[in-house]
Amino acid sequence: MSVSLTPTTSLTPTTKIRKGRNFVRRLPLGPTGALASLALLVSACAEDKPLNTFEPRGPKAQGIYDLMTPIWIIMIVVFVVVVGGTLVLTVIGRVKPEDYDENDLPKQVHGHTVAELAWTIAPAILLAGVSFPMVSAIWDLERDNKPGELDVMVIGQQWYWEYRYDVDGDGFFEDVDGDGELYGIEGDGDQDDKEWPLNLALDDDDLSVPNQLVIPAGQQVDLTLTSRDVVHSFWIPRLNGKRDTVPGRLTFWSIDADKPGEYNGACGEFCGLSHARMRMSVVALPEAEFDQWLKNQMSLSEVPEEPAQGQDPSPERAGYEVFASQCARCHVVNNSDSALQELYPKDFEADLLSGAAPDLTKFATRSVFAGAIFSQYSGIDPDDDNLDVTNYLQLAGTERLNEALLTRWIKNAPEEKAMYPEGRRGMPAFPGLSDTDVENLVAYLATLD
Amino acid sequence: MAIVERPLALPEGDLPEIENPLGAFSRPHKETGIKDWLTTVDHKKIGIMYGTASIFFMMIGGVAALLIRIQLATPDSNFLSADAYNQLYTMHGTVMIFLVVMPIGAAFANYLLPLQVGARDVAFPRINAFSFWCFFLGGLMLNTSWFLGGGPDGGWFNYAPNNGVAYSPSNGIDFWNVGLLITGIASLSGAINLITTVLNMRAPGMDLMKMPIFVWMTLVTQFLLLFAIPIITTAQVLLLMDRLFGANFFNVEQGADPLLWQHLFWIFGHPEVYLMILPAFGIVSEVIPAFARKPIFGYPFMVFSGVAIGFMGFGVWAHHMFVPGMGPLSVSAFAVATMFIAVPTGVKILNWVATLWGGKLILNTAMLFSIGLITQFTVGGLSGVSHALAPSDTQQTDTYYIVAHFHYVLFGGALFGFMAGFYFWWPKAFGYILNEAWGKWNFWVMVVGFNLTFGPMHILGLQGMPRRIHTYDAAMGFNLWNLVATIGSMILAVGVLLFVVNALVSLRDWKNAGRPNPGPDPWDARTIEWSIQSPAPEHNFDYDPQIVSVDDWWYQKYAEDETGRLRKVAHGADIAQPGNGEGVHLPAPSYWPILLAASLPLLGYGLIFSLWLTIPGGFLLVVSMFGWALEPADDLDLAHDHDDHDDHDDHDDQDDHESIVETASAEDTALVGDAPSPGDTA
Repeated sequence: MSVSLTPTTSLTPTTKIRKGRNFVRRLPLGPTGALASLALLVSACAEDKPLNTFEPRGPKAQGIYDLMTPIWIIMIVVFVVVVGGTLVLTVIGRVKPEDYDENDLPKQVHGHTVAELAWTIAPAILLAGVSFPMVSAIWDLERDNKPGELDVMVIGQQWYWEYRYDVDGDGFFEDVDGDGELYGIEGDGDQDDKEWPLNLALDDDDLSVPNQLVIPAGQQVDLTLTSRDVVHSFWIPRLNGKRDTVPGRLTFWSIDADKPGEYNGACGEFCGLSHARMRMSVVALPEAEFDQWLKNQMSLSEVPEEPAQGQDPSPERAGYEVFASQCARCHVVNNSDSALQELYPKDFEADLLSGAAPDLTKFATRSVFAGAIFSQYSGIDPDDDNLDVTNYLQLAGTERLNEALLTRWIKNAPEEKAMYPEGRRGMPAFPGLSDTDVENLVAYLATLD
Repeated sequence: MAIVERPLALPEGDLPEIENPLGAFSRPHKETGIKDWLTTVDHKKIGIMYGTASIFFMMIGGVAALLIRIQLATPDSNFLSADAYNQLYTMHGTVMIFLVVMPIGAAFANYLLPLQVGARDVAFPRINAFSFWCFFLGGLMLNTSWFLGGGPDGGWFNYAPNNGVAYSPSNGIDFWNVGLLITGIASLSGAINLITTVLNMRAPGMDLMKMPIFVWMTLVTQFLLLFAIPIITTAQVLLLMDRLFGANFFNVEQGADPLLWQHLFWIFGHPEVYLMILPAFGIVSEVIPAFARKPIFGYPFMVFSGVAIGFMGFGVWAHHMFVPGMGPLSVSAFAVATMFIAVPTGVKILNWVATLWGGKLILNTAMLFSIGLITQFTVGGLSGVSHALAPSDTQQTDTYYIVAHFHYVLFGGALFGFMAGFYFWWPKAFGYILNEAWGKWNFWVMVVGFNLTFGPMHILGLQGMPRRIHTYDAAMGFNLWNLVATIGSMILAVGVLLFVVNALVSLRDWKNAGRPNPGPDPWDARTIEWSIQSPAPEHNFDYDPQIVSVDDWWYQKYAEDETGRLRKVAHGADIAQPGNGEGVHLPAPSYWPILLAASLPLLGYGLIFSLWLTIPGGFLLVVSMFGWALEPADDLDLAHDHDDHDDHDDHDDQDDHESIVETASAEDTALVGDAPSPGDTA
């Protein structure tokens, strides 16, 4: 199945796909130090390893890395001393069976209190010493919410991530007029009245983006995390460690990218059937680009025009109608699009356990889909240096859309990614859609930029 | 209420004639063959059954592991579906922890503990049999889920709310609940039994500080079980109520907090880790002195570090929860506590190394596996320190780095220790020595396979490969080391199978050689289980050993000469108890432990499939409890004299009564570990 789909990757062009070439040759050949070997082993061909924890690209991840550097050295020294010592003692203490004399016993040492106290107390002091920078690092990792920083709510559900931006700056990620109690950025809403699943009706002035988190580079982004179903874990190794998203609770975290680029992640807590296929893509843009992106996201996608009397609808319009009759049962475009509502009046609550399917507004501006496991673009040369994140928006558009993959996905999504639609978890197959229907649908989706 | 004083002694004269209330309420006679094993209450037979059943379950868990490794050998593999993968990894973890490592520890505890404290049996022999059958039948029941709608698919940690019916609609997690509740009964009743045995039934003179270290570590293990198992039992009962009767303990929509499950699970789960490793620590603490020819370095430190690990093991559980957002204060407290548990663990390692220091090391297979434990456990301990540091753990938790860590601890540590124990005590249990040539192949293939499988997982984890994923993309860069790990796992599987092969080859060679007896003390060892014949006679000790010191048996054989050096003063074979057991009274076998244990899975199937099924289960339960309570204390048809049953018992272990005496001198050659097994193959 998915084997034939070549771009089974969430990598955008900025992350060059090198599929492990040269890896073996870069292994240390000579007797280099153990630390050098370890670092090399782990970080060899780092660009081939988008989740590498030894390649921090932001101050948070760098803090963890710096804390650990001396620890790794201590660990390697202890390893060499203890394991090496054991092996040396084993070799020199060895007695051949024929040389063994039961009356020539080795010195019968029963213990040495001073030595034993020493190797009880010394490690304790060492560990006590380590615990100071560690505790300090634990506090450093806690989110310190400063005014002016971008606030994003991260919502996990089986099996994709939704990112909500508090664009209007009212301190809430939800529609303040909705029913039920709200969660503010600080999570200090009235917890007693909360309804679950969260009342997460989207405020028209805020933004919801699935699968791809776009952030401004060079500044801290404060995350408020929760889940609509089971426990997931949000993890962008190059930007920070992981933090779980727990249903019924809010957790807090932050990420920060030094430079523009794409940073990948993978769900860190087992979350059911397709845990392996729940990934993250974070794109950090220069600030100006980010503002441009945000502006574009906040505009509505165009509704394809109705055909003139007696004429066939355009493929996009036909696709729009298919979307309204089929996809709109779960997916939202243009946040409760009134035109869609008129066409097929429906309650936009997804028929899913989690209550949410990816919001497809501005679908074509994202480089990944299906839980950030598939690249939405095709025909991109990964070595083309002109294609980096600064061209992020320019990448979007019909001509680059990976139509073949998208078509397969729409026809039979569970075939491409393990899901459980009969249990209302994930996208079902649509055997009823004709090839033309799907073609039109793809044409419509390509207009969502 | 008036207190009636009754004399504790039996009435004088002839015992009053007790009638059998019903035929079924009599004790079974000393049986042979399968019925003997089903009704036995002998701790040695029960220990052997624990070991055999564990190895059987290990084959199931091992096949699951190999399927997992085949799936992960290549990126985007379709060898297994996501669903099948989730079931396999869940059952691999569950089986290996609950049905392999824990019960192998129980096997050694059952077999050795009474022998090492100088007792005839455990304190409650029928409960001991009941414990075994609960474990075995509960384990079997759990594994029937493969055929009855699919295995559990929530991971061995089975986090809420993913363990709810909405997210795991098959019956797999119900099997997981019920099966492990039943094995939990086994662990609990076993713990009480063994604690009582150690505290009340030690030989005269054996103070607590003269017990073998294996007994100490087993005692700590049983206390860990006693306090940890009720917590997982509680969690599982709550989950069972949720899943089967619509309760809301873990239902987030009704206001439940999923972290409740995580806390309950890990308050159990972390002591669980230590109760799996401590028996292996005990084993190597016996093996290393025996083959280094010098006493354990710092016996009190070894004992107290084990006890300290037991206590501290209950205070570090939340280091499994550094990322669900407990808050920095809790994280700091648990991180610091976790780092400090490295101290007593480090003491143990350094004391073993100090025991090796200056020793005359006889590097037979048991010794090699013990050294394997020291080195490989050190690796696991060090990687443990790296994720005790909570900030670092946010990068490492739920990656393959953790998978590498706990396999170095539990496979490279605990299972290697158990292998050492198998090679060391095999002659005591079965009367023949395992072949050394095969043993060395067994060891080296396992070492290579183990490190090739789990070593690369450190790298994979640090490169960001998450755990519990059924596949990965080629572009993630995990291809090479996954392939290496898969190749390693195949080698490791061969290594484990070599042990089974060795057991069979050695048995064949031993039979072909006319069943030579290895003698009571083939290794010139230190503790009193070597002062009785091999295999251990049914009644263990002919008379109570009198304990003077730690390693009492050693000091019966060796004494200081005028220069203060130890000299051999007696050969073990000459001073060992002869095994004739005149006038020994042993507990009679019973039908009821297995029947009572069998009622529990029936009740479990009833809970899962139809409450009607609980009627026969409940009936069997009640009848068995009454049967247990009402059956006579002894087999009335048997006199109490041990030898009486010889004429209608042609069981193997009786064959050797004469040959023991003839071949006891095999000891000296066997000491150095080159067993005189004809037909060494390598």
